[in-house]
Amino acid sequence: MRIEIIKFGDKLVSRPAGREAFLALESYQLKNLSPEEIIEIDFEGVNALTPSWADEVVTKIANKFKNIKLLNTKNATVQATLKTLREYSDLKV
Amino acid sequence: MGNDIEKLAREWMSASPEQAQVESEYYCPTRDVFEARNNKTPEELINKGVDESLSYFIYSILGELGNNSFDHNLANWPDVIGVFFAMEYNGKNGRAIIADRGLGVLNTLKKAAPELKTDAEALEMAFTKKISSRVLENRGNDLKFVKNNVIENNLFLKFCSGNACVAINHGMERETGNSVVRGCVAILKF
Repeated sequence: MRIEIIKFGDKLVSRPAGREAFLALESYQLKNLSPEEIIEIDFEGVNALTPSWADEVVTKIANKFKNIKLLNTKNATVQATLKTLREYSDLKV
Repeated sequence: MGNDIEKLAREWMSASPEQAQVESEYYCPTRDVFEARNNKTPEELINKGVDESLSYFIYSILGELGNNSFDHNLANWPDVIGVFFAMEYNGKNGRAIIADRGLGVLNTLKKAAPELKTDAEALEMAFTKKISSRVLENRGNDLKFVKNNVIENNLFLKFCSGNACVAINHGMERETGNSVVRGCVAILKF
């Protein structure tokens, strides 16, 4: 399963927006998937990402599934956000 | 570059609730208004020649600061809801200000850390330790992201709440505020 983050927008900032995104994912793409399923989170096209938004989506996906792959993470705010989540939100990916 | 937006922010902070809630290009009563205005930030800066990557970092930092005001004061604003948000860039130097008339960092963090006694201690904790006043949720990373990326992008941030301020550039230094800030004021220079 590949989740294209750009489908939520190219600038992803607030927690309420992140929470809404995760609720949509849970209702559709992630519904009925096994915890063993490989989940690819693709950041292609994202221009701005913050820990508030990503904590509600990336951290929560990582808490539900064991096999997470992060793709196209070259954007500097994506890298900085993932670094923050690893340091302060126990993101293990 | 003049001092106008700092003056306007100070006036907004001390205005009567009726005056502070007057519709203006700077007053954002709700998160939606703040985000709609901040969404224009990267394009405006890029069009004026600011590096694209830096423009998106500035947008992200402002997004975290502004949303923090709404996250921590929702349903608890003492008088005026929302934030004052202004930005200016003259082709060489830029400045953005986000101010709120909320509870302030000490009152907010005391819910999770009752041992906090001073505004200075509260600011130190907010920018360096994983903690959130919304204790039932796993939060508390946004100001650490702000601090680290102000430092890494060689920006300058002054953040004041109560009678304390921190100045962040190559590191973080505590400062005593010149006056008491009811709520929070953040000044980002780039």
